[in-house]
Amino acid sequence: MGSIKNQMFSSYQKSEGLYDEIHDSNGEIKAIYKKLFDIYGEHSIKDYVKLNDKAKSSFFNQGITFQVYDKKKTQEKIFPFDLFPRIIGPKEWEIIEKGAIQRSKALNLFLWDIYHDKRIIKQGIVPMELISSSVNYLDQMNGIDPPGGIYNHISGTDIIKHNDGNYYVLEDNIRCPSGVSYVICNRTALKRALFGVFNHYKTCSVTNYAENLLDLLETVKPNGVDVPNVVVITPGMYNSAFYEHSYLAKTMGVELVEGRDLFVENDFVYMKTIRGPERVDVIYRRIDDAFIDPLEFRPDSSLGVPGLFAAYKKGNVTLANAPGTGVADDKAVYTYMPEIIKYYLKEEPILNNVRTFHCSRPDELKYVLEHISELVIKPVDEAGGYGISIGNRLSKKELDQVREQVKASPRKYVAQPIMSLSVHPTYIDSSRSFEQRHVDLRTFTVLGKEKEFVLKGGLTRVALQKGNLIVNSSQGGGSKDTWVLQK
Amino acid sequence: MPLEYAITYKAENTYENWVSDAHWQFLIVPEENSSQELISTDFTNSLNAINEPSINGYGFQTIRVHPKKSFKNITFEATSKVIKKEVNPFDFSLSDHHHSIYRHIESLEFKVDYESFLRKTYFTTIPENDSGLFRFNRFLSIFENLRALNQWTYDHIFFKTEVTDVNTTLYEIIKNRHGVCQDFTHLFCALARQNNIPARYVSGYLHQGNGYFGDSQMHAWAEVFIPEIGWMGFDPTNNLIANENHIKVAHGKDYFDCAPLKGVVFTTGSNETRHSVIVAGQQQQ
Repeated sequence: MGSIKNQMFSSYQKSEGLYDEIHDSNGEIKAIYKKLFDIYGEHSIKDYVKLNDKAKSSFFNQGITFQVYDKKKTQEKIFPFDLFPRIIGPKEWEIIEKGAIQRSKALNLFLWDIYHDKRIIKQGIVPMELISSSVNYLDQMNGIDPPGGIYNHISGTDIIKHNDGNYYVLEDNIRCPSGVSYVICNRTALKRALFGVFNHYKTCSVTNYAENLLDLLETVKPNGVDVPNVVVITPGMYNSAFYEHSYLAKTMGVELVEGRDLFVENDFVYMKTIRGPERVDVIYRRIDDAFIDPLEFRPDSSLGVPGLFAAYKKGNVTLANAPGTGVADDKAVYTYMPEIIKYYLKEEPILNNVRTFHCSRPDELKYVLEHISELVIKPVDEAGGYGISIGNRLSKKELDQVREQVKASPRKYVAQPIMSLSVHPTYIDSSRSFEQRHVDLRTFTVLGKEKEFVLKGGLTRVALQKGNLIVNSSQGGGSKDTWVLQK
Repeated sequence: MPLEYAITYKAENTYENWVSDAHWQFLIVPEENSSQELISTDFTNSLNAINEPSINGYGFQTIRVHPKKSFKNITFEATSKVIKKEVNPFDFSLSDHHHSIYRHIESLEFKVDYESFLRKTYFTTIPENDSGLFRFNRFLSIFENLRALNQWTYDHIFFKTEVTDVNTTLYEIIKNRHGVCQDFTHLFCALARQNNIPARYVSGYLHQGNGYFGDSQMHAWAEVFIPEIGWMGFDPTNNLIANENHIKVAHGKDYFDCAPLKGVVFTTGSNETRHSVIVAGQQQQ
């Protein structure tokens, strides 16, 4: 099978200026993809489509779906999947893994500091506004020592490759990052469809995520507990990530609960079971801070457990991630990450940050308003790609609207240069061929007590519309299996 | 001479339909501090549900109640005995260096240390047009300014019940110029914070005069941090400096942090809540 006969990419168009993940600068297939390309080339596009459809229907049959929120209605969708995997070599992966751990550890130390001595603010390295005007800063966490000293047990780091060939971090998701179940399902789907390809590559396993997560959650158990009882708490089956919550509970072999399944008595947390109350020690919570305890936070929350925070404060239960962690999951904090890493770890950042303009600073606001068509404007406190404006995609009228929004509440927005996400060949139904589509990578890092784990793989998200840069599933993105090769 | 108080807090909740599940958290037990000592607390409820003492997110003692059976009516009664020391609020001396004190409260270190009590909250945000509101005079000490602010708030707002509620913002209070202790306190805190003076909302009880068996609702006043003195209580509703008649329960950024009763109740239809407070005082023999 030579590449002459290979028809896979016969109509593949390469745009100038985009970093293509599988071709080198001379337009040749990179060595790491060579074998895969040859194997896929043995099939016709027709075979490929058949297999891809099969994989998709298997997702649907397993109920691997998510919800998209809209003003009018909520829709259930399957996560579009593409059989052509992304491959990351061991050397590149080492950088990503080290960089992700470095960031997670630095964020953990930052969180400890801003809920204790606040040295980094007093020394003028980050502004006080990061806590004083953040809705996610919880005064109630001041002076509390979370079990094992960990705040951000689970971090999802969104990384892209720019057209300079370097990795950049776009954001650190440390509230309740989703997506890890899709990583594992993508692998399963690919194995079912094309098992043979795995014989030619030494790909790292991703199915060990749940056991590692459970292992690390057990290291941060409350004092005095021997074998902790771990549960996953979900807002319920209407939540966009419910599939993932149930998947994680199932694969960790722990109970999946809703708020009403738990209760607090004398500052201990119990689960209602048919054998009577059973004490709960560690809660992997997929509910936002504001909703975890209606007696301490939002009184209208029906998702939480009354009294949960008092039990946490007493050290009788571990919450992962810790309450108040969201303050560091703020696009304004992101912009200080290089300083935060240097301050706490005395190290240079391994992964790059994207240059960010704070609209709260008058001189930077001026620059943003003048160069708005060359910038991405992001609200600091929205997740899931909602509210993002990409300057060069907007009409003059739309740009004026964005300008007005930013002027009205500058603290709410940051701006970044438009990064060119790398592209990866992706099968596109409408043209029945492979086309370049922008991709990013979400990695999953778990911190435990003196132990950490990075899932060797990740969620490669694909922007399915041509030229679109927003890859979030809620904005019409798809995904690919991501292979990390062993050394 | 120390004073002993017996404080009785009663609440009665009545529901149109059966309540299948309910959780309450009371923040009504006086705290212990340098000027008050808690002798005893006795808490009962009409359903004989377990009363669980606990500590809330701000470190104050709470009592949680979670009845295990359905009901339509429940009453709660708490009796606390407190000994209050008579303190002279003017027992301090101030230096003449107003200037350096004002500089001190402008420092980053100070602002970070007292950040949460300098922050604007929903209840302590001053409307953009703040003309006609109290202004600090930098030639006077912080203490003198705060006394003037206390007087100003007392004069500016008229005490009137049932015109404001727990959701009333400063915008309405300033516009209508009437309200209750909660509103006076929010305005006082907001104006102190506007001048970089840390201010906290205090929830507690007021004994309305010696030998007087008065009953009232829970009271609110403010505590402000004055360098060289420390935290000091001001009661703008009565134009007083907090004294031995003020029995403190808790403090926070605003009313929301100190609400005496929080609850999650699963039922339908209408409901009615009634509270009463009796503060009985007697001089200790």
